[in-house]
Amino acid sequence: MHFIGRDMDQYLSQKDYVDTAVVPLVQLDLSEAGLKSSAGASEYLQSLTTLLEKQFKGRILLFPPMAYTKNADRSRLSKEISEELEKAGFKHVFYMTTDAEWRSIDELQNVLWLPAIPTEHMDRNFKQSVMEDQLRQVLPLFLKEWS
Amino acid sequence: MSNNRVSRRQFLGYTLTGVGGFMAAGMLMPMVRFAVDPVLQQKDGGDFVLTDQRVEDITEEPVRVDFSFEQVDAWYTSDVTNSAWVYKEGDKLIALSPVCKHLGCTVNWAGDPEQPTQFFCPCHAGRYEKNGQNIAGTPPLGPLDEYEVQEQDGYVAIGAVRPNTLV
Repeated sequence: MHFIGRDMDQYLSQKDYVDTAVVPLVQLDLSEAGLKSSAGASEYLQSLTTLLEKQFKGRILLFPPMAYTKNADRSRLSKEISEELEKAGFKHVFYMTTDAEWRSIDELQNVLWLPAIPTEHMDRNFKQSVMEDQLRQVLPLFLKEWS
Repeated sequence: MSNNRVSRRQFLGYTLTGVGGFMAAGMLMPMVRFAVDPVLQQKDGGDFVLTDQRVEDITEEPVRVDFSFEQVDAWYTSDVTNSAWVYKEGDKLIALSPVCKHLGCTVNWAGDPEQPTQFFCPCHAGRYEKNGQNIAGTPPLGPLDEYEVQEQDGYVAIGAVRPNTLV
């Protein structure tokens, strides 16, 4: 489910089934050199999480991307978000990011780090098949966590 | 000739009837339009989307067929790609919606290795028979929806979604 009003009604009535939160983590780099790759990574991550949501609509709640700057205190961020999600009662929480810095943060469980693929020049069908390949790598991680 | 002369009185009578008739028609036409408007409305959703799946390649084993169409959500137009599970029963094409009737996940054919002839929903282990019938004891409460499907120039074309007619 998406984090939108319409889906929240369903979420509230089916809370037992929707037990997994997915939070995309997006680094904003607005310097001239980093702007384009930062935007491309964000695009990639959003396409991937949207596909993931389509596959697992009935079990995951996809949150809007959490955006932070390059020098953000990632330990503090992760503490805040994980506490909030725990309070909300999610049994499983996944964080998805293309930002390599998260790999050295120990506070978060289940951080899926993926190298961003620039999709801007791909035509629609090719992009679709690339994203589905990417999705196929992520799906087993969810199924493993749930089993 | 002189017997058929139109008198001034008759001439004025005809003229007034004619003009009055036009005016009445001018008022009634829009009203009639309003009254029959639902009949004149164009039907959306009856359109078939052509896919790149050849009909002759389809067997009795369901395959996933993707199709894209344009969707307008308020001011935001986007290309949406949906898929269907298509198979043949005899010569008849059948296309089932992959959307699980429990909470809307995407189901897969033979997704569960132990049940190779059923659709399987990975979210909460819902299962369906090949014709879309939900299996009792699993979470889904109804059969998978069905797409209208037809053959166009040898390719599969997928239309509107409707409740399952096979079970």
